[in-house]
Amino acid sequence: MGLTSMLHRLAARHAHVLLVETPGHWLTRVAAEHHLLDRGWRLAQSPADADVLAVCGTPGVELATVADRLWQQMPGPRVRIGIESPEQVRHALDIAEADLRDITRQQTDSRVRRGGRGDQTRPDGHPTGGHGPHGDHAKGGDEHAGHAGHAGVAHGDMDMAPAGIPLANRGEDRDGLELDVLHVRLGPVLAYWPAGLVLRCTLSGDVIVDAQASLTDPSHRTPEHDSASRSGRLFAARRCDNAASLLALAGAHDAASGARQVRDILLDPDGAADAPARLARLTRTVRRSWLLRWSLRRLGSLSRSDLVNRDLPDTLEGDAHDRLLGMLDRASRAVAEESSHRATGQPTVPVEAVAELVRGWDLATARLIVASLDLDAAAPAREVSRV
Amino acid sequence: MVSHVAFWVLAVVAVLAGAAVFIVNSMARASYALAVSFIGVGLQVLLLQQNYVGVVTILMMVMEMAVMAVYMIMFMGMNPALMPMSMVHDKRHALAVSIGVFVLLAAGTLIVPWPTRRGTPPADVTMTLGEELMGPKMLVMAAVGVVMAATIVAGVVLAAHQTRYDRFGDDLRRRPADDPQPGGVGR
Amino acid sequence: MSDPSVTVVPAFWALGAAGLLGLLASVAAIVDGLLSARAAGAAAGTGWSRPAGEVARLMWQRRRATVAADTLLWRTGGAGLLVMALMIVTVVPLGAWTLFDLDVGVVWFNAMDVLAWAFVWLTGWGANSAHALVGGYRFLAYGLAYELPLMFALVAPAVAASSLNVGTIAAAQQGLWFVTWMPLAFLVFCMGVLAIAMWGPFSAAVAPDVAGGVSAELSGVDRLLFLGGRYALLAAGAAFAVPMFLGGGAGPLLPAWLWVLVKTLALLAALVWLRRRLPVVRPDLFMEIGWVVLLPAVLLQDLLVAGIALARS
Repeated sequence: MGLTSMLHRLAARHAHVLLVETPGHWLTRVAAEHHLLDRGWRLAQSPADADVLAVCGTPGVELATVADRLWQQMPGPRVRIGIESPEQVRHALDIAEADLRDITRQQTDSRVRRGGRGDQTRPDGHPTGGHGPHGDHAKGGDEHAGHAGHAGVAHGDMDMAPAGIPLANRGEDRDGLELDVLHVRLGPVLAYWPAGLVLRCTLSGDVIVDAQASLTDPSHRTPEHDSASRSGRLFAARRCDNAASLLALAGAHDAASGARQVRDILLDPDGAADAPARLARLTRTVRRSWLLRWSLRRLGSLSRSDLVNRDLPDTLEGDAHDRLLGMLDRASRAVAEESSHRATGQPTVPVEAVAELVRGWDLATARLIVASLDLDAAAPAREVSRV
Repeated sequence: MVSHVAFWVLAVVAVLAGAAVFIVNSMARASYALAVSFIGVGLQVLLLQQNYVGVVTILMMVMEMAVMAVYMIMFMGMNPALMPMSMVHDKRHALAVSIGVFVLLAAGTLIVPWPTRRGTPPADVTMTLGEELMGPKMLVMAAVGVVMAATIVAGVVLAAHQTRYDRFGDDLRRRPADDPQPGGVGR
Repeated sequence: MSDPSVTVVPAFWALGAAGLLGLLASVAAIVDGLLSARAAGAAAGTGWSRPAGEVARLMWQRRRATVAADTLLWRTGGAGLLVMALMIVTVVPLGAWTLFDLDVGVVWFNAMDVLAWAFVWLTGWGANSAHALVGGYRFLAYGLAYELPLMFALVAPAVAASSLNVGTIAAAQQGLWFVTWMPLAFLVFCMGVLAIAMWGPFSAAVAPDVAGGVSAELSGVDRLLFLGGRYALLAAGAAFAVPMFLGGGAGPLLPAWLWVLVKTLALLAALVWLRRRLPVVRPDLFMEIGWVVLLPAVLLQDLLVAGIALARS
């Protein structure tokens, strides 16, 4: 058994973690990300890829339901942890690793799942995570979880519903061809996605013909953990985190890692003093990459008049590439000025505007555009009453 | 001996996969059953030592099936892999035609007096075959290729909704063009 | 027809070739693990053991099924990439030995690389999930753009050596490697290899912007085969570039087979390194590049090579 336990230990040392960020718990999520990457773990892109589900903060009803669904979709061996504050991260990850290595625990989990088959039928109308329209399930797990993924499909002719999934409607795409339309929900849990944002998209092919944006649990709002200590460094760290998301979505892995490291230094109270220098180096690299400019230019362009018409902050002027450079510039300025007036917060973007901006773009490009909006996780929330 | 067995096994695989095209109830499976059938035939041609023709058959057919599956699914419009659907239409006529063609071809293979080999096969069979097929007509073949490519381009241009006036404006001066999604060259 | 300098080894050596391919793929995975760990600021030890850790993790993980999945096609697609890679290395001569001395080896490579169209799309299709399907179609969009330039890039060495046999092409560059006078064809070939392996700048089919795309729903041994297939394809593509562009076994001091391995490893490491440096080339942009820039450029390269070959003969 020596070999088996060695393999289990090896596997647990390389776990993949799916992070669920409750709006208002950005610091916790960032700390979790930092510590898990530090120990050589990796971020999972989908529940199928995850060993650990880490819920950062206390989720509201809607987000908790989503987390439950994601938990069901994980293949197992699996561990679920809740992290309430940045200080708890290290301990929580240690527990997760120990639980992953605990063979009897995992065997029990697997037996319970198999035994629970069929008892877990859910009525339609539950939200899913961002993954897949058909709400997949782990083998031997909940056979009926798949129905719920179709909450958004606007018809219910069950005769035409193999495996309980209704067939698609048809609609015109942007070239005037009549194609199937598919309803896919993006968020609230998706890698490099603003916390709490949900986009209900109507796709024809992979082009978003229509989208509605909303926020999870609008009434369940925990204030940002550290609202008292809003400083220039914190403001800059957020910009770096958003830049890291956009860079990661664009596939620039080294630049994304760099942005993440600058963010972590900025958040560390006794962090190194070379943060401004590193930030400047990162900005230079990003600015110099012509491939990055080529891939992000002309995406989601907003002119000054567009901004005025849609009531958007003027930091969003230009295309995705301009906005990426803008994030890094604002981060540099905030670090230089420490706590200035600018550090009081990021101007807010109404959620409706997010939906409007992705209409007509394909799914992947829409992700880039959303990431380029430099949203503070909590920012759309303040606008919810107005929308 | 081994190659004889392989040849017959491939023949059976090709026929069965061909039949599967009409039996399975999903478009993806039907397309790729056809691809498997063609791969079987391609490998048989390889065994006949027509290496070039055999490998090119595999190459073209796999690519063709990938493209065919895309178009079929795009225009037929069904949820992925969900709705079982029949792969046969107009069964009576189709059956009559296919039996007729089979009888004709089978009779042909049995009745035709096959020539016996005179001389030895050339060193490069592919080259000889190519010259035999199109030696004196090479110019015609080359021209046909260009015409076919032009037809495809013209077809796409005629089918496209967007004209250059939509892209470049009424005076054709707008740069960059107004595309729903910008292209890579930046025209 | 085929080059006499190449000896065909008995079929059981296929196991050795598979082992060697596995070794190369592992080296690629370790290099990638080290580079990623260094960039993420993680402990260096985790970089070394990352491939082993991934294997242990995925062997232990349960296989997953999705609702109304086409399991047959899904699993075929996932396992197919590994088969493709093995088929490609059969025609690559290791110094003086080859497994399959096919007179049309270059076309064989081409036929095998086209199988990626089928396997990747099937993996995306079979899972019955929107992100996976979008990933599959993104790969086909790449395919439509890279395949023709890749084909014409393969034509250049074949024309220069007046043969489609891989051994003969390697032997034809004893004096001067083809990469020196057909650099564009070499670059386009490397691009094709990256695209087939869904690697680095051509990883849109499995990218985070579509939540992992084709691989979004894969878990356990299915994911392991798919990931292993990608590394193996990268290794097989690098190995095929050696006789085509990098002079095969030509080189001073070392024996020919060792030179083949050294060159393969060098190219493989470069391809792995590239992943971290370059952003993803989005398929909707690359489509135009492939047809408007690369295809004419490669055709010009072919014309040049054909002219030189005519003048030399």
